[in-house]
Amino acid sequence: MDIQRGNIIVMDRRRGTLRAGQGLLQGLKVVWDHWVGSFRKNDNFSQIHGTFTIEYPDERMKLPQAYRNMPVLLYDDETGQELCTACYQCARACPPEVIHITQAKDPNTGKMVPASLEFIIEYDACMSCGLCAEACPFDAIKMDHFYELSTDNRMGLMQRKADLNRPVSYYTSIAPDLWDEVKEGAMKKLQGSIKRRPDVIGIAGHLSEKIAARRRQLAAEAAASPPAPVAAAPAAPAGKLSPEEKAAKLAAMRAAKAGGAEPAAEAPAPAAELSPADAKAAKLAAIKAANAAKKAAESPAAEVPAAPLDEKAAKLAAIRAANAAKAAAEAPAAPLDEKAAKLAAIRAANAAKKKSE
Amino acid sequence: MHDVINHLINTVFGLGWPGWAISLIAYLLIATILFMIVPFQMLFLTYFERRAIARMQDRVGPNRVGPEGIFQPVADGVKMFTKEDIVPDAADKWVHLIGPGIVVAPTMFMFAVLPWGPGMVPFDMNIGLLFFFAISSVSAVGLMASGWASNNKFALLGAMRAVAQMVSYEIPAVLSLLAIVLVTGSLSIVDLITFQSGLFISSSDVPGIPDFGLGWFVFTPVGFLAFIAFFIAALAEGERTPFDIPEADSEIVAGYMTEYSGMKFGLFYLAQYVLNFLLCAITAIIFFGGWQGPGVGWLYAQAITPANPAGNGLFNVLAGVLGVFYFLAKTYFFFFVMVWVRGAYARLRIDQLMDFGWKLLIPLTLVNVVSAAIWVGLTKWGAADGLAFVEGWAPLMRWAVAFVITLVMNLVAYFFLVRVYSQSQDERARLDDEVLERLTNVA
Amino acid sequence: MRSDRVGVLRLPYHYAPTTGGELMDLLIQIIFGLISALVIGAAMMVVTMRNVIHSALWLIASFFGVAALYLLMEAEFIAVVQVLVYVGAISILILFAIMLTRSNEGDRLFTTYWWTSGLIALGLFGAVLVPTLAGTIWNLPQPTGPAGAPEVLSGVEELGRGFVSEFVLHFEIAGVLLTVALIGAIVIAFEERSRRRRVLTLAEELELRKRQQASEHSAVAAADSVD
Repeated sequence: MDIQRGNIIVMDRRRGTLRAGQGLLQGLKVVWDHWVGSFRKNDNFSQIHGTFTIEYPDERMKLPQAYRNMPVLLYDDETGQELCTACYQCARACPPEVIHITQAKDPNTGKMVPASLEFIIEYDACMSCGLCAEACPFDAIKMDHFYELSTDNRMGLMQRKADLNRPVSYYTSIAPDLWDEVKEGAMKKLQGSIKRRPDVIGIAGHLSEKIAARRRQLAAEAAASPPAPVAAAPAAPAGKLSPEEKAAKLAAMRAAKAGGAEPAAEAPAPAAELSPADAKAAKLAAIKAANAAKKAAESPAAEVPAAPLDEKAAKLAAIRAANAAKAAAEAPAAPLDEKAAKLAAIRAANAAKKKSE
Repeated sequence: MHDVINHLINTVFGLGWPGWAISLIAYLLIATILFMIVPFQMLFLTYFERRAIARMQDRVGPNRVGPEGIFQPVADGVKMFTKEDIVPDAADKWVHLIGPGIVVAPTMFMFAVLPWGPGMVPFDMNIGLLFFFAISSVSAVGLMASGWASNNKFALLGAMRAVAQMVSYEIPAVLSLLAIVLVTGSLSIVDLITFQSGLFISSSDVPGIPDFGLGWFVFTPVGFLAFIAFFIAALAEGERTPFDIPEADSEIVAGYMTEYSGMKFGLFYLAQYVLNFLLCAITAIIFFGGWQGPGVGWLYAQAITPANPAGNGLFNVLAGVLGVFYFLAKTYFFFFVMVWVRGAYARLRIDQLMDFGWKLLIPLTLVNVVSAAIWVGLTKWGAADGLAFVEGWAPLMRWAVAFVITLVMNLVAYFFLVRVYSQSQDERARLDDEVLERLTNVA
Repeated sequence: MRSDRVGVLRLPYHYAPTTGGELMDLLIQIIFGLISALVIGAAMMVVTMRNVIHSALWLIASFFGVAALYLLMEAEFIAVVQVLVYVGAISILILFAIMLTRSNEGDRLFTTYWWTSGLIALGLFGAVLVPTLAGTIWNLPQPTGPAGAPEVLSGVEELGRGFVSEFVLHFEIAGVLLTVALIGAIVIAFEERSRRRRVLTLAEELELRKRQQASEHSAVAAADSVD
């Protein structure tokens, strides 16, 4: 029975001597219909029979793209440049005033640059209104879909920039249409702000630290003799290797080679200039990792229920790739390799998801 | 059980123990088995109820502990056991302590006369039915004691409601059973079951009916009306939902259980579900033949019984398994109906409950007793009892005449009483309006 | 009809005790002693307890003991009826009466003439007990019935036949008395329609308030129009 929403059904009470007891039987009939109907799933919600329950830890609701939970910051996958320019629009728009921004300064000139030094959102007081994302002229702050935020540590809900940074590819995976609408403008604006950012300022924190470390290392190496970066790689993992692990390691090694081939003397050059070669390597690694993930996730039919499995396998491969990359990076290897490997991992995950869908 | 123990001790081991010792061992063994079965029944019933009611409300129900949530009641039990036992300061400590015990003990006693299968009754008492209901009325004392001892107005209110409800609904329950007892002429539960062999017509009423184990009382007008009245009364006695006012959560917290926690609360819970099981079982036994069903009678005729000592022991087992299967299937069906009713109806108010019991059910069951007397007269009596005119009729003819007469009587009584009842309800509603009117005018 | 059925404490017929009869007798003596002690002790507690609810609960224990004594006498029908009527109904009635009427518990009402009432009670009790004790023949010899299955005394049928033949007058008088009591209770509990009062439901209270406001409003309007 389809019921129109908003319609009021007036039931006829039917009082009368000969009908005595019929109402009770009708009530039983209604409940019986629900009992019988409950053994199939109710999918479209316009039906009044069938089980509505989404068994949460096992199944999750398919969230709409515009679903908003908590705000996150975006950075560009390929360059690592954050979209945020520390314009304070979001902090002004925030009704509970939980956004705190410090703008970055050029260490040489002391002038403000369009990038944030620190960016804090107090998730515990955030009310998920999404006004910050609406206010942001650079599309740098977006609303995340992740909702399992419960913790036993209240201070853990104070999210710093390192916790808030998400690659753009992550956002396209949860809200592709929304990103497509603003993509061009956001990227154009990003290119504009990159030009005004000296050195590593504006690059996602976890990457810029690595870059700085690598630079120090390269500087030290320049003083000493150049080592063989590849030799150390096979040392870490031992024993049997599954095919996808091997593939991931191969990708990592290649990425390491590409990074290692860079002349050490060029160390002080800006990080942006380093990127093309690295990007190539990263792409290579990504393709390899994606292939590996695909191989790992050879589920019989790409049905929807099979999706979590594929995703899991892809994630596994990604993690392994990252580990292998890390193992390679333990030996003197290019710091951006790790970034490349991570990107590869993300791409692999995306590819797996796309394939499963 | 006696036979097995006797065989083991006196024949296999040759100890030559006296009969009373063997009886003692047998009874202890039966009691132990029952005490092991009963809590598991209760655990399963809670799970069953929660799953079934969830389905009726378009939900799934507990399904995370174990496969399909089958271990959910075990988890609940662990929770109950590990909870703190709280006794309020102002409570009467000893009465508070023994209250749950008095509530649980009668429900365990009632298993003493409950037949599970052919020849499988712990104790075949010749007044089993009376025993069953006499003992069930004892738990009211426990409810009253725990409600009073909690020193809490909600607990006392709940206990008052529970006891008032139990006392008033015992009358229609016993009256509806009285009709059945009139027809069978016995208070023994085993006799009640053996009476119900046949095929839609009891072979005790009409000799020569083939025995398919389907001569249930519910197929007669007397039995049908008694069944409806008894089941409604059973819902009230088991405090099931349309009549769950003693523990109405939205009004009086949890009734007499308000001040109980931990395993004492668990005991109330146990008593309630065991009582529900027993009421369903007794409904299945009295009106739906208990273990009677196609095949059981034939199997049991081949088995070793006091009447047939030369039988085959294998048939004892077969008849027992089939009989217990039929019995449990019927019992669980009635438990499902209880859950179904819970899913369908809202809770009554206490005055509606009392009205329904006293103004409709009791007159109806009284009429039914008269119908049962007519039924007995037409099917059993002869010239010796002062009914000479039925002497020449064929048994089937007598049965048919009794069926038609009692059917007409019960139908007329039903419609008449329902009309009177609905008129009285209208009158009551009118009076309520009048009161409101008067209050308005005063204001 | 049920000649093969036996009493509660008797054993199934095909295991009638061949040996150990004396032991069984001793056991029954002991059980009788214990149950009698329970009955008397519980009865003592009934009159000595300070809390009247506790007294009622001890009274129930005493009733149970009496039921057990009936069982020992193989009068199972009477035993079950004892439980049904006394424990299931009368004690509940007593509990109800106590809870509905008493507002303060635990104080004892000793009047200055308590000894007169005590004497009267003792005299009445003696008037019943002494003739009974005097008229009893003690040390009856054990009945030596025929060997084998003892005769069944289920009691239900005899009782039923007695009620409708020999004691029909007593039975009917008791019935009429109970009906009169029932009618009396209804008369006491009946409320005249004009005095009828009850707790209003939430919806009715709302309705009442609405009507009151409406009447006030109309009164104000009337006053305005007069002005």
